[in-house]
Order: sequence, then structure tokens, then C-alpha cells
Amino acid sequence: MEEGYSSLPTSHLLGSVPAAVAEDKTGGAASESSSANLQSFPPANGGYQAPGSAYGGDEQATSSWKGVCSISSYTPYFNIDTDIVVDRLITSVYPLNDFTRKIDGNPDMYGPVWISTTLVFMLAALGNCATYLMRKRNEPDAVWNFDVTFVDWAACVIYGYALAVPVAFYFLLQYVGCNASLIHLWCMWGYSLFIFLPSSLLLVAPVEIFRWVIIILAGAASSWFVAQNLKAYTEGSDLMVLIVSALLLQFALALFIKIFFFM
Amino acid sequence: MSYGGAAPLHQSSQSDIDEIENLINDSVRFGPATILPARPPSSPRASIPVSSSPFVPSALHPLPSSNKKPLPHFAVPSFSAGPSPQGIATDGLGPPTNTLTEPIWDTVKRDLTRIATNLRLVVFPNPNREDPGKALRDWDLWGPFFFIVFLGLVLSWSASVKKSEVFAVAFAVLAAGAIILTLNVLLLGGHIIFFQSLSLLGYCLFPLDIGALICLLGSNVIIKMMVVLVTFSWSSWAAYPFMSTAVSSRRKALALYPVFLMYISIGCLIIAVD
Repeated sequence: MEEGYSSLPTSHLLGSVPAAVAEDKTGGAASESSSANLQSFPPANGGYQAPGSAYGGDEQATSSWKGVCSISSYTPYFNIDTDIVVDRLITSVYPLNDFTRKIDGNPDMYGPVWISTTLVFMLAALGNCATYLMRKRNEPDAVWNFDVTFVDWAACVIYGYALAVPVAFYFLLQYVGCNASLIHLWCMWGYSLFIFLPSSLLLVAPVEIFRWVIIILAGAASSWFVAQNLKAYTEGSDLMVLIVSALLLQFALALFIKIFFFM
Repeated sequence: MSYGGAAPLHQSSQSDIDEIENLINDSVRFGPATILPARPPSSPRASIPVSSSPFVPSALHPLPSSNKKPLPHFAVPSFSAGPSPQGIATDGLGPPTNTLTEPIWDTVKRDLTRIATNLRLVVFPNPNREDPGKALRDWDLWGPFFFIVFLGLVLSWSASVKKSEVFAVAFAVLAAGAIILTLNVLLLGGHIIFFQSLSLLGYCLFPLDIGALICLLGSNVIIKMMVVLVTFSWSSWAAYPFMSTAVSSRRKALALYPVFLMYISIGCLIIAVD
């Protein structure tokens, strides 16, 4: 059980066997790149891992599946520490292309779930503030009115996007023959939403030009992140159409956020 | 199955002993799915107080069970006005007391006492707070239920438009939030009992309830913000020890962040609802 090993000071070795890491360390750059292909420890198949399979995590995950209603089936996707989550968050905004490598051995669902939830609440709250400030600027005697439907809309849009778009791309990638892992796609799309959190704080300022600049920058950064990682994920195959459509979808989400919540 | 009239005890007490023993024997014999046939209650009948010694012949209480026909099985939770969610009330004095025949006020009082005790343990400073095993050993879900519904109602009263939507959002966020927060801790490899955690998160809403009530009465935004800030800190302080000891120290922030997120969003809802 993973809990039994939590006292070991090995947070950087998550997902890998300690003996294997000793050899990797001499050549490895970021510590997470040494997390090899083992998804969970102790390994469920007695340690057997198909050689050369970059998505061996999938086999490990399915082998420890105990049914939809058992918590222990989902625990491998939350096998994550605070410092690793923070590291992934920073990587999602910093335009270097190693996010895919970082989540390769240990994709987590903690990030996507809580980033989406935070974004829902922030959009609802800040959207109301921003709408009020904008109205107050145009007519000085505007009264504060809390529109609670912003919560409903934000929840539907953000959760729907974060759930449905990776599923759609999963099926599309399978259709064109590229072996894809749904968990990696969910993880990547979830972390791509992180940049909207600080930008929605900035969007409260009631200056229209400023708002457009912010959202275009944030949308562009987020779309670039998605496109880069999708390209790295489907290495080898030329799927420019898919990548461009992912980029456009992300940008469309950014525009929708601006138009609906911060107008 | 009556023992006849030669017993030295008071007649009503003997019938009570009979009834209890019959119920126990029948439960052992028939298993948990049986509905036992009704026995005509004898009168005047002594009620069986929960805490004091039984068989005090006080003929003051009318029979609460005189209108109920089939006596449900002994192990089923009592169906009086304030049912205890924990099943049989055993107080350690020999045969278990029958919560079906006690006065309704006793049941309600017992539940209210438990809510008050748990509240005192969780929300107010006391030396046992650091140990989750001791702190909320006798958890219940009535307290959290009342607090969640009360908070939803207060927010709904505060709103001038879309009252029912406000209630729906508040109730959904709190109820689903408590469940999701508990699942979050379990998924991160923490060790908690599911319902104990639900219970604790519900009790920690009590300061926000007070804050919402104060905000309902006042209307100045600055005062609202101060009140919500104070009560939010109080709620977080109440929830912190339990959540942080449940997971390993490297994941403490991951377990605590969603708790703060939920309380902050409820705090913002309290300030924002006009």
C-alpha cells in the first residue's frame, strides 16, 4: 500500500523503483524524468512492464481497478505531493515544453479537479464584481446585484469543457491510430486551465481595452500550452488538424469567459 | 409469553421485563427481518427512563407506543420524533433500553445534547482537539444537517431575487462539498472515517451560520466583510487539526486547500448576497 511508504523521504522518486533511479540519476535532468514507466509501487503485475511502452501506466492502472465504486481504484491518480503539484502548476504557465515528460509516469487527477473547481468559483464571484464595476462606471447609481446563475453557468462550462474535450480528443486520436491515454489528456487539459485563475483576477479591472489584452494573452498562452503538449504527446504522427483544432477550442473558451462573465 | 401473576415485582414492571426479554428472544430466534406481532400494553405502565434506574412507577407519561400496532424489530433505530441515527441506545445497564417506548422529549433531548457536545468539542477550544479519535467519537449527522439547512435558509432570506436558486446553490455546494472533501482526503491516502469527516465539516459550519445571521441583520458591506472574515477564520481554525492529521505531512496542503476553498466561497456568497 502506498501509505506504508509515505515516511520515506522519497517524494522525488514517486512512481519509480529506488534501485532503478540510482542508475537514472547519473544521466537524468529533472527528477521527474526518472520516474520511468512504473505507475504504482508495489507494482501490481509482479513488476512486469512491457518494454518500450510509453503508456505502460495504462496497464498498471487497469490492473489495479477494483470497480467503479471502490476508492482504491482511483488512488493511483492522486498519488501526488504538494511540491510536485506546485511544480506542475508552474510548468503549465512557463512556456517550456516539458510538461508531458513530467506527467508521463504519474499523471494526477488532483490538479484538474481542483483547478476547475477553483476556476468555477472565481469566475462566478469575480464575474459578478466585474459586471458591477463596469455598470457603475457607466451609470454611477448602479446597485450591486448578485447574479447566482453565474455559478451554474461557470460550473457547466468549465466542468463540461474539462471533461468532454479530452474525451473527444481521446477518441479522435484512437481513430487515427495514435495510442492515447485518457488520464494523460485529462491531466494536461486540466492544468492548462490554471492560467485563467490569475488572469480572471486581473479581468476585474473595469477598463475594456485592458480586459481584452489580458484575455488574449491568457488565451494565447493556454492554447500554446495545449498545442505544444498535444504535439509532444502524439510524437511522430502528423496530426496538424487535430492540434490546430485543440488550439482554437482553447482560445474559444478564453473568449467565452471574457464575453460571458466579464462583459 | 407471560410469567403469570406470582412475581414479586410491580405488575407493570414485570410486563416491561417480559416485553424486553421477549423482544430479545425473538430477535435472536427470528433474525433481523421479522415484524413481531403487537402485544397489548398493560396499564398503568411505567416508562423506562434512559439514564436513571428503571422501574420507577411513575404513571405520568402517556404511552407513546400505544398507537403503534406492530412493534418493529428491536434492532431497528427508533422511529420516534427525533430518531437516533446510531441504532440501539445502549447505556450499559443490563438489557438495552428500548428507545421505542421512551417519551419523545427524551429522544429529542438526547440528540440535542449530543449536538451540543459535539459542537463544543469541534468548534470551541478544548484540549482534545488535536486527537481526532477522541474529538468526535460520538459523531452524528443531525447537527451538520441543521447547520447546512440553516445556512441555506439564511442566505435565501438575505437574497432579494432568485431566492430558491440561492438556497439550491448553497445547499448543493455545502452538501456535495463535504462529500467531495472527504473523498479527496481518502484519495490522497489519508485515514479518516467517511461519516466522521462529514460530521466534522458540517459542525465547522457553525461559525459561518452565525456570520450569515449577523449579515442578514446588518447591511453595510464593510461590516459584512469583517464579520465574514472573522467567522471564516474561526471555521478554518476548527477544521484544521482534523484535516491536517488525517494525511501525511507532505500532502497536508493538498488536503487543506479544498476546505479553505469551500469556506471562502461560502463566505463570498454570504457577503455577495444582498
